Amino acid sequence: MAMALLRRLGQTVLVLFGISVLVFLVFFATPGADPTARIAGRNASPETMALIRHQYGFDRPLPVQYERMMVSLFVTRDLTSFVDHGERVVPEVFRAAPVTLSLVFGAAIVWVLASIGMGTLATALRGSLVDRGLMILGLIGISMPVFWLGEVINLVTQSRMHDSWMFSWVPGLGYVPLTQDPVGWFKVLVIPWITLAILFIGIYGRVLRADLVAAYSEDFMRTAQAKGLSASRVLFRHGLRTSMITFVSLFGLDFAQLVGGGALLTEVVFGLQGVGRLTYQALSNLDLPLIMATVMYSAVFVVLANALVDILYVLLDPRVRDAG
Amino acid sequence: MRWLAAAAMMAVAMPAAALAVDLHRGGTLHLTASSGVDTLDPQISYNSQSTELFAAVYDGLATFPKAAGADNAVADLAEALPVPTDAGRTYRFILRPGIRFSNGQSLTVDDVAASLRRIFKAGSPTAGSFYGNIVGAQACLRSPADCTLAGGVVTDPAIRGITIRLVHADPEFLDKLAWTHASILPASAPPHDAGDTPLPGTGAYRIVSYDPHHGMLLDRNPYFHEWDAVAQPDGHVDRIRLDYGLDEEAEITAIENGQFDWMYENKPLDRLGEIAGRYTAQVHVFDLPSLYYLAMNTRQPPFDRLAARQAVNLAVDRRAAVLFMGGPGAMLPACTMLPRGITGHVPDCPSLGAGSPDRLRPDPVRARALVAASGTRGMRVILVVNASRNEDALGENLRETLSRIGWDAEVRSITPAVQFNYIQNSANKVQISLTGWDADYPGPADFLQVLFDCRNIHPGSNSSINISAFCDPAVQAMFDRANATPDTVSRAALWSAIDRRVMEQSPVAPLVQRRYVDFVSRRLGHYVNAGIYHMLFSQVWVQ
Repeated sequence: MAMALLRRLGQTVLVLFGISVLVFLVFFATPGADPTARIAGRNASPETMALIRHQYGFDRPLPVQYERMMVSLFVTRDLTSFVDHGERVVPEVFRAAPVTLSLVFGAAIVWVLASIGMGTLATALRGSLVDRGLMILGLIGISMPVFWLGEVINLVTQSRMHDSWMFSWVPGLGYVPLTQDPVGWFKVLVIPWITLAILFIGIYGRVLRADLVAAYSEDFMRTAQAKGLSASRVLFRHGLRTSMITFVSLFGLDFAQLVGGGALLTEVVFGLQGVGRLTYQALSNLDLPLIMATVMYSAVFVVLANALVDILYVLLDPRVRDAG
Repeated sequence: MRWLAAAAMMAVAMPAAALAVDLHRGGTLHLTASSGVDTLDPQISYNSQSTELFAAVYDGLATFPKAAGADNAVADLAEALPVPTDAGRTYRFILRPGIRFSNGQSLTVDDVAASLRRIFKAGSPTAGSFYGNIVGAQACLRSPADCTLAGGVVTDPAIRGITIRLVHADPEFLDKLAWTHASILPASAPPHDAGDTPLPGTGAYRIVSYDPHHGMLLDRNPYFHEWDAVAQPDGHVDRIRLDYGLDEEAEITAIENGQFDWMYENKPLDRLGEIAGRYTAQVHVFDLPSLYYLAMNTRQPPFDRLAARQAVNLAVDRRAAVLFMGGPGAMLPACTMLPRGITGHVPDCPSLGAGSPDRLRPDPVRARALVAASGTRGMRVILVVNASRNEDALGENLRETLSRIGWDAEVRSITPAVQFNYIQNSANKVQISLTGWDADYPGPADFLQVLFDCRNIHPGSNSSINISAFCDPAVQAMFDRANATPDTVSRAALWSAIDRRVMEQSPVAPLVQRRYVDFVSRRLGHYVNAGIYHMLFSQVWVQ
């Protein structure tokens, strides 16, 4: 167990090192990316440029700059932005995390419940019109880009029909902390939750249905049916549990990348200042310290989530458990 | 009798005035912007959001009037603006008494001297270009930590006197002192960029909290008293709250819904019709001293040939440029490098020649002939633009123009984060680029001398603002003459002549002058637009 943990830790460090070197090198290889002139301000004299270059250490060799950046990111945690002078990026990412967590947790609940409902209902009524209708709806959900859907929803709820009885409750875009105003938090997030969840409901619902239908031809399902168990018990207790394996591994990865900043488009469209929006701003401003911080944060989540998924496998699948 | 009438009028007028102030004082002005300023340090920040905000927070010895319709610098922390002596090289100021910073500390001449030194110590972007002419400034630029400005800034605490000596006369020096980078801070301000820590100021408001991704809060400076209603007027609202995070489309909608009073970002083109039609009373439009132009690299073929540069100026369709950049409501065609509203501006298009009946009509026939005469026909020309909806569209139009007159043209669209610095660096061998210039202060030197002075060419540097690398001895001599001319009328004529000469040499092809479209909430009243500060946050009211 300890060995496995250590191995995981070693892998994590290696992944982080590889990504950080890549981000660092790509940044400095980009023509015009040298941040000195942007920090110094337009029409800065050569002397001011030299002062800034020295202050920020851009006059040092790249490996030294890399090492200094990593030390101030992970050890002293006082790495500051190139764009918002003096802004410490590590606390900024941690301040953004609750926004992203609120968005992703809520959306995950919506999409897990809705897709399980959709998958099981479609399986139970497989071949019927309801089954086909649900699968087509799922496909439509998958096909709608989240930023387009978000903008259209905003157009309707914030602009065109904002004054109607249906949407007059919709607050302005932005985030309200849960601790400050729970009702406001819910109101502000419920539309982003649904918007972000729609794509995943489509994917997960279809995947689950396919797995469930496949499960019905398995021996253990036939045994369960032969034992005279009720149809719902066969479906939920025997079928659903084993069919959840693909669902859970997909969920682990999707959830982790969303928490790590993958909900970028949803956050930007709805003005939620989460990690995704931070990543978006860092990239559009070419702000290396903030890019580095958000990328590292995201990488940590993906690695952690993979570990969690491995543990969940053991709980779900008796074959994996017994093999261990 | 006359005295009695005046007294009676005052008696009527006074309560009304007092009532007006009482009625509108208070409340929170709620602003929105996508993201924060570059830094809270007024001596370093170079961002129009901060220029607008800091107008109510910081003061210099001089300032631009915080009132509509006036441009020339006025006295702020100084009692009066001095007339320079010693052939325009010595300025003697007397500091106003009884002014305190927002931390309670009294303002002294030491704070003024320390702030002027801090411009160099903290590395202000304009340290070299605006203040490098102060005696001792060159030593400060070379070694900022040891900066003393000895001989350049001399104080006399007994009479609250500050004397500033320049190496050469500079008729726009008071404008430069009015610019935000010459804000006066406590002498104890750190000798480096203060970043996201607010420094105490003398203005009507102070910054209470700031986070570049969430917002900024300002409230009243408790030690402020109004000393001059034009230099630093007292504010109406009690608090100014700025929320970051929305994009410009969402900002427009939020103002329409009354959730915010004002937005910082430029208004998206697809919404201009909507706000102008449905919210006419909430829209304010005014000219900006700001140009979009094509910079042609005079050291790269084909634009190392005069004929090739002139061909571009003849061929570009400025009317089309107006349409691509937002239409006649938001843009004006421009064919000179001094925009409307700046001293020396002449409503003329010299680059198109006097014979043309419609000076804005492109002349592709003559342009083609010039390209052929320059011997560069068929040459590959790459136009570098910002990757944005408007500039990509305008870039495509310009590419067609360049192709039509004989070159093999291509557009290269680069992220706005780097484009401006990329096109300045001679190492990138950019031939022609679409770029813009906003005035820091409304003076002709801030356009012509900044953009075309030989001393602003720095090969291999990302900061080389003379993007065309244009160096003309005749123009250079005219700069010196203009700066040595004390008389304002003859100086204005000289700047017009410089503008004409530059356009004859065509290192640039000006396209459009920006107009500023401001969109405010229904509840916002007493809109005042004051030059480079745009809408005055201290003057509007929300109740």
